[in-house]
Amino acid sequence: MAAVLLWRGRARALLSRVRGAPRALRGLAAGPEMHFGFQSVTEEERREKIYQVFENVAKKYDVMNDSMTLGIHRVWKDILVHKMNPSPGTLLLDVAGGTGDIAFRFINYVRAARERQLQRKLKHHQNLSWQEIFENYQEDKFNSLGSSQVVVCDINREMLKVGKQKAQHLGYSEGLSWVLGNAEELPFDDDKFDVYTIAFGIRNVTRIDLALQEAYRVLKPGGRFLCLEFSHVSNPLLSRLYDLYSFQVIPVLGEVIAGDWKSYQYLVESIRQFPPQEELKAMIEDAGFFKVDYENLNFGIVAIHSGFKL
Amino acid sequence: VRCQHYPPLRALQASAVLRRVSDEHKKEPFTSSSQQQFDPHPAGHQPEQEPQGPRSSSTGQGGQESEDYESEEQLQRRILTAALEFVPEHGWTAEAIAEGAKTLGLSIAAAGMFHSDGSELILHFVSECNTKLSELLEKEQKLVQLGKAEKKPTDEFLRDAVEARLRMLIPYIEKWPQALSVLLLPRNIPSSLSLLTSMIDDIWHYAGDQSTDFNWYTRRAVLTGIYNTTELVMLQDSSPDFEDTWRFLESRVADAMTMSSAASQVQSTGEAVVQGLMGAAVTVSSAESSRAKT
Repeated sequence: MAAVLLWRGRARALLSRVRGAPRALRGLAAGPEMHFGFQSVTEEERREKIYQVFENVAKKYDVMNDSMTLGIHRVWKDILVHKMNPSPGTLLLDVAGGTGDIAFRFINYVRAARERQLQRKLKHHQNLSWQEIFENYQEDKFNSLGSSQVVVCDINREMLKVGKQKAQHLGYSEGLSWVLGNAEELPFDDDKFDVYTIAFGIRNVTRIDLALQEAYRVLKPGGRFLCLEFSHVSNPLLSRLYDLYSFQVIPVLGEVIAGDWKSYQYLVESIRQFPPQEELKAMIEDAGFFKVDYENLNFGIVAIHSGFKL
Repeated sequence: VRCQHYPPLRALQASAVLRRVSDEHKKEPFTSSSQQQFDPHPAGHQPEQEPQGPRSSSTGQGGQESEDYESEEQLQRRILTAALEFVPEHGWTAEAIAEGAKTLGLSIAAAGMFHSDGSELILHFVSECNTKLSELLEKEQKLVQLGKAEKKPTDEFLRDAVEARLRMLIPYIEKWPQALSVLLLPRNIPSSLSLLTSMIDDIWHYAGDQSTDFNWYTRRAVLTGIYNTTELVMLQDSSPDFEDTWRFLESRVADAMTMSSAASQVQSTGEAVVQGLMGAAVTVSSAESSRAKT
């Protein structure tokens, strides 16, 4: 307990020092010094360290998410997919999608939408000839998703492994692919995807501007960029409670459940280092997106940023 | 890691979809101009050319480095107009908007720019119909001014105007009840109400209404009532070419005309009554005074 309090004091000091630090430390400039939580490291080191973090937490990632956010992360992800409102035929790229949460929700949503679409079509066509009915059944059999697809891309092999296992376990097979790739340099052609999502991943990208540019590149014209990420709470009372919870409880949970204090300390520190809502909005606009907007969830603990490639 | 230098000023950023305003006049769906030279993408690169007709292959890309891009609102309006063609099949929904975006060469995710209940689509349609009606009435007025047509009597004018406006609903009549319910959502009421009142205003203006007194309000209220009730009748009408609806419209307009003359009759009757009462009062008071005298 004493150790935690001592550490807390240190965190406060670091916090105030870092807050005053120039913008370069927020990982935007091309300078060699970057932040890893509250430490100062080079770009390469940062990538290394982050890879390590997720390699370590991969197996317990979902359990930790549930315990840290008291299960609310599920609601956040549901809201993200509802906001996306994908129609059947959408091609989704889920970057840093590791364990597949967004991908599975997308598949469920599109499946339901497809069923509604088919029911409406049937109601519409009351007087079909036998030939037409036959044709309808032919295409429906192979099209329960309406040719929608999701590509899950992650830089970390362990996270992808966990994701694939989950997919198998839950029975998701159709319309799902797993690709190893770096958000700063995506292994895809231009103008390919309808929607690009990055849920709780952009914080861990070393060069956010590059990731945004890549997102712009791989999206089709008219395509949508969606980013779900921890953000800044403006309400002062809530902010204090949130800080308290983050720095006191989460690393302890990390140690108890996942046996890894440091990774979860990195997590909460990285949240504090991440640009606030307006700044991220400006960055997204700089990458070329239009109609950029954000929606705060839970008073700013989490925010969904949205932009269109127009 | 690619080394790219993107210009800091947003204005120089090439837009993937927003076309130059000048191209809109040429009535082409896309311009086929190249991406900004800062960033040569490997795929789908088009050399600078004259704007062509609709391309059969991939989606519209790149804009010129010129200043006059269409705004996002203009692009949104284009998408909504394109979406109208899919309304009979999909209803006033985000899916219709997605299909519309697809015909313009955009991703179906562009429908995310709009509300998922289709409000913007419906409001756009209503506003387009009102514009068309104004143009129609303007043309008719010109013909009358040039002496090429007779000036219609008010009841016929109103009937024709309302019928013309309601006929624009015919292609979408099956899904129109859904649209009406969306227009009545509290969020949409300010816009839908203002569109309705401006349309009624327009009709009266072209009908030659010059009133500046209380009549202005009465006329608006009456015509709004006629329009709304006729619209509802039309939704349930299954007669060929909506004959029943137009007959209903005719009788409502006729009612309104007689009501206005009845109103003036009532007014004169009212005056007569008042005079009678005054007379009675004078008689009574003089009778009193004469009784008092005697």
